Amino acid sequence: MDLWQSLLLFAVLAPGVVFSAISLGWLLGWIPSERFVSRITGVTFSASVLAIAAIVWRLALTGSPSIALRLGNWFAVGRYEFPLVLLADRLSLPFLGLTVVLSGLVGQFSATYLHRDGGFLRFFLLLHLFAFGSLLAFAAGSFDLLAGGWEIVGITSVLLIAFFQQRAAPVENGLRVFAVYRACDIGLLVGVFAMHHWAGTASFAGGLPHLTETQAVIVCLLLLLAAAGKAAQVPFSGWLPRAMEGPTPSSAIFYGAISIHAGAYLLLRVQPILAQSKLASTLVVAIGAVTAIHGAIVGRASADAKTSLAYASLTQVGAVFVEIGMGWRWIAVAHILGHATVRTLQFLRAPSMLHDYHQMRSATGGELSGVGVHWEELLPERLQLGLYRWALDRGHLDTILDRLVVYPLMRLSRFFAKLDAIGWRGVAGRRGETAISLETSARVGGH
Amino acid sequence: MGASDHSAGSRQERLRDAIDRAAHLLPMQGPIGVFVHHNTLHAFEDLPFERAVIEAAQIFGAEPFMSEAAYRSELARGRIHAGDIGAVLDSEPDGVVFPGLSRRSLRRAMITPGVREFDAATVLWRSEQGDLARDFRQAALRALFDACFARTVAHEEEVPEPRPVDEVIHPWLIRLCSVFLDQGIAYWRMPGREQGFYRSVRTLLSQPGGIFPRYLTGLDEEFRRQEYFSFSAADAVLDCLDSQCFREADWPDVLAAELLALPGWAGLIRRLEEDPRLAPHESIPCSLVDFLAVRLTMARAAARMGAGEPGPHESPLKTAERRRLSRTARVYDAARVVSLSAAEITRLSDAEWKAFASEVKACNGLERRRILHLAYERWHEREILRGLAGHCRYRGLLEIEARPAAQVFFCIDEREESIRRALEEVDADVETFSAAGYFGVAVDYKGIDDAHAAAFCPVVVKPEHTVMEQPKAEDAGLLERRRLRRRLLGILMHSSLVSSKTLVRGWLSTSALGLLSAIPLIGHLLAPRRYAQLREWLNKSFLPEPRTELTFMRNTAQSQGAVAGLLVGFAPAEKVERVASVLGPAGLHRRFARIVVVLGHGSTSLNNPHESAHDCGACGGRRGGPNARLFAAMANRPEVRAGLRERGIEIPDDTCFVGGYHDTCSDDVQLYDLESLPETHQADLGRVRESLDRARTLNALERARRFEGPPENISAADALRHVEERSEHLAEPRPEYGHCTNAVCVVGRRALTRGLFLDRRAFLVSYDANQDGDGQSLAQLMAAVVPVCAGISLEYYFSFVDNDRYGCGTKLPHNVTGLVGVMDGHASDLRTGLPWQMVEIHEPVRILFVVETAPDRLMKVVNNNPMLKQLVENRWIRLATIDPVSGAVQVRRDGGFEEFDGSVDRLPVALSSEEWYRGKLEHLPMAWIQAAAGGR
Repeated sequence: MDLWQSLLLFAVLAPGVVFSAISLGWLLGWIPSERFVSRITGVTFSASVLAIAAIVWRLALTGSPSIALRLGNWFAVGRYEFPLVLLADRLSLPFLGLTVVLSGLVGQFSATYLHRDGGFLRFFLLLHLFAFGSLLAFAAGSFDLLAGGWEIVGITSVLLIAFFQQRAAPVENGLRVFAVYRACDIGLLVGVFAMHHWAGTASFAGGLPHLTETQAVIVCLLLLLAAAGKAAQVPFSGWLPRAMEGPTPSSAIFYGAISIHAGAYLLLRVQPILAQSKLASTLVVAIGAVTAIHGAIVGRASADAKTSLAYASLTQVGAVFVEIGMGWRWIAVAHILGHATVRTLQFLRAPSMLHDYHQMRSATGGELSGVGVHWEELLPERLQLGLYRWALDRGHLDTILDRLVVYPLMRLSRFFAKLDAIGWRGVAGRRGETAISLETSARVGGH
Repeated sequence: MGASDHSAGSRQERLRDAIDRAAHLLPMQGPIGVFVHHNTLHAFEDLPFERAVIEAAQIFGAEPFMSEAAYRSELARGRIHAGDIGAVLDSEPDGVVFPGLSRRSLRRAMITPGVREFDAATVLWRSEQGDLARDFRQAALRALFDACFARTVAHEEEVPEPRPVDEVIHPWLIRLCSVFLDQGIAYWRMPGREQGFYRSVRTLLSQPGGIFPRYLTGLDEEFRRQEYFSFSAADAVLDCLDSQCFREADWPDVLAAELLALPGWAGLIRRLEEDPRLAPHESIPCSLVDFLAVRLTMARAAARMGAGEPGPHESPLKTAERRRLSRTARVYDAARVVSLSAAEITRLSDAEWKAFASEVKACNGLERRRILHLAYERWHEREILRGLAGHCRYRGLLEIEARPAAQVFFCIDEREESIRRALEEVDADVETFSAAGYFGVAVDYKGIDDAHAAAFCPVVVKPEHTVMEQPKAEDAGLLERRRLRRRLLGILMHSSLVSSKTLVRGWLSTSALGLLSAIPLIGHLLAPRRYAQLREWLNKSFLPEPRTELTFMRNTAQSQGAVAGLLVGFAPAEKVERVASVLGPAGLHRRFARIVVVLGHGSTSLNNPHESAHDCGACGGRRGGPNARLFAAMANRPEVRAGLRERGIEIPDDTCFVGGYHDTCSDDVQLYDLESLPETHQADLGRVRESLDRARTLNALERARRFEGPPENISAADALRHVEERSEHLAEPRPEYGHCTNAVCVVGRRALTRGLFLDRRAFLVSYDANQDGDGQSLAQLMAAVVPVCAGISLEYYFSFVDNDRYGCGTKLPHNVTGLVGVMDGHASDLRTGLPWQMVEIHEPVRILFVVETAPDRLMKVVNNNPMLKQLVENRWIRLATIDPVSGAVQVRRDGGFEEFDGSVDRLPVALSSEEWYRGKLEHLPMAWIQAAAGGR
């Protein structure tokens, strides 16, 4: 392992090590002080920034395309292997850099913002775990390792949405997001299995797995499902405003910057095979375009700071999907970097909205001119109303998902609960506890 | 409906009455941009405090006092005194529970050593594995429990009505309210909102083709039906009420329950209905009937779909058996603390047992907390009065005879107490005064950078005059340039904000220019103070700053201006009157220094929706700089001085007034119009400026002790940098602690408090009883000061004791909505009250007014003012007097004044404030500060 490889390893592992060390200590009864936590956060991310910068510097000097680090196999069974490969190339480095810089800045912000909050330590543990997850996903040299990081990002995202666990709404919304993530992650998992099945590997450190055209389309579609879920693309967009329950800095880094762009990164990774398939790339463009338009319209009718920012993010991520579908990889990367920076700042400044509007109003003498034309006003009145109504319900997406997926699933689960209860009655009847078990299983089913 | 129905008109009137009655429970908070402190329970002011908090707690589902555990820990650390608990119990009626046990002794035992609280959900576990199980290891206690259990019956528990309908309709209703009230966040305004909430929502939701959540299916049909019959909002409300067969007598309760499901939104709609001008940018026709019509129609549709069916009534955790157990446990614990044995319990007659059980029940958790709270306040009252009386008795009240080096007026705000003390410490020849921070000039003011004029005065006052800031003639061109450039900046800022959110423009701007955001992001987070300085420097170099003056002169000839019928400027007599209204009550009639500084105050912080709550309450939640500047300008006019002379206020010709502004967050002090100060006064100015500069540094140091961030041994200069950084920090949820810890208001001469360390907890009002023969000044002062201070004190009280219900919870998930308020996350009620970060170190006591006058004179003033009378008689504020001559202290208890009965002894002495507070985080007791007392 040379210096550059160890730097890469360090950058990826550092937040993970901090997370494990502190949480282990915590489990053993140690409660670190706020000062210690914020210091160690600052040091970790500063060091990671330097490490990533050194790698970029090195690649730029030598002109070599990537640094790969093979840590051996997790396991190998016959033809099947699970290699642990880290890869820093021109695609992953911008994402790695973005992650460490923004995590460090958000850590700096949060040290002050969460001062004296009961969940201070929990927040920072999750921030480190998240950083580790996303660095792992971005530095992974194979899709299976990427899936590991992906899942870590997902679970920290959910835990931070439900950060204020003493109130019901954050927990409910966190659960909803969790459900959407789980459903969509099926795409990633099955996609990885399919790659292993067909190509014998899911590693892309030495080029993407070789797939036939049909296989490639299937894999692309599966990965697209995962990417669309993570990036809140239509029809999954309804979870994004719900994710605004967490503390402001977590909204910023997850839904303004890193997590929301993870789907785009996944698609960028498979972009070469995506480009081979007309069907898949058209679908990516279509989903992106629909999402962008959806986000733009719904965002126009959102009256609270964070929801309107969430839909603004969505709009641009949709646009990024379009770019990827069209094959403009480097434009997409540049777009992501710019967008993530703007949005992080905007989310962090969201509480200033009041002040900003006051400033703008007084500077312009009281009236804010509509910038450009309100094109919705060009529509006939009936259509305007209909469209506004549609925008207000956020494109009916959640309502439709509820009706088409959630309720039928719940009915199905209730049916199974009943079956289960009948089975139980057979066993429990002998012990005379039928009523109780019936009640319990009905309740379980009901949930 | 309509004209054919003969009784419709009167029914609608009765409905309106019912709504009015229900609506008075709603919070009084208006749009958050101008935050005015109110008594959270203003609707209950006609009840005595202790009863009001408990009744309100039932209605709002809130806590009336701190938790019993909190009082217990205060008891443990000596903040509550056993003697005070005794005194409280002694002041209340005693009785015999059964021979050998009096109510007083039972209650005393139930508070110290105290009983535990039990509830049905956990009692079983506690009796099997918890503290009760430990008790039961002693056979006597086990027997006692069994004896109690044998005589206890399970009580009926009232199951709170579940409201599953809320879950279904709130997401919709909240979104509708937020777009309806939006002041500019949404780029696309709600169509048709100028027709009011009900009409616009009806039109919107009756559109064909909309998809509704399962439980709201049919809502569009319902709205279409109402449209077909051309219902008004009131018709729709009546229709919904009738469909559920409510009697008219029940209307207020039913409607109140509907309104209190979303009190924040309903309250804001109510406020904007009462005063549409409160809307910061866009005026919207609000009406509570509209809100109710929409809400009830939705609830009706949801109930029709079966959303309203209540769940199982008995909670499995609270079965009859468990309720009986918990009730037993309560009686048992009381019996235990008064050392009753099982045998004694069994021997009680039925009547005696009943009396005992009901006496125990009467002294429930709420009652114990009430008693503990009164004891908690009594300790505080004693400490304060002891200090003030001791100051009078042992130090005596010396008036400075020589001409002071300078005189400085501050606002009465308790945050200014420390800087006043610091100023007196650094320059013993400076004399300080205080008056409500609008300094008697209630104006509609428009600065050169403002788009609209705003009222700079207490909310209860309507300004009759308008004053504008305008550039001096030679600088008019500069202003033009400034306006133009600001306009450019504003447009740039707005279009970059909007374009970052739209599709096509956002595409271009985020990908091409997005990375530029890294500069402010890194600047703000890594070097907040430097970055703020950089921005200020850029601002200064880009925007020219014209010298300005105020248009406050009016000859009686030119009068009503075009602006809303307000008088433009003040006529000479009006000016005299304004200046006299401040100098008169303060007792500053002669012996003026060569320079008199008048400091308004306000607070600047970043990223803080509650910023305005830190501004000057007496200026209606605005920054009081213009008022101070205006006051000084008036007092400098020769004709005003002539007028004042006729009223007995002699301002010598060599006295100059200077207006200024103190920022309570960054501790910045600015002085205005210094170029018009004569050459002869430059030395005086230099001296007072230097003193102020040192005072603000010391003030920053004293404030820094409360924050956990700065190190204990921080230097004063670093403390100043620290508070400056706080005011410029993007991530700082507590830029300053605001009015937190306020507890006292002293109305009297500064001599009464000069040299006393009051820990930034006392409002100070300058009042000289010796120069107020007829009590006119006192009446004027009390009418202005009491509502403001009581509002602040009570808002802090309630936001502290139940931060979730009366306050707005933690700031961290707050989300600015429609520029009118904050929500938690993306869809919650509008959160009113104060956030936890603003109140976390508060000590919830009712404010104690100590007035330097005789009790009968004070009560004459109070009784002549209905508002004061109500606050005093119902004990929303505490009251004491201190005699201007003898220094004797009287305190108001049980409707009359009694001699203060605590011991009066010497206070601890410290050389300087710093010596007293350095390194301490907690509330500090009073002390004599030698330096601040002018060396005495």
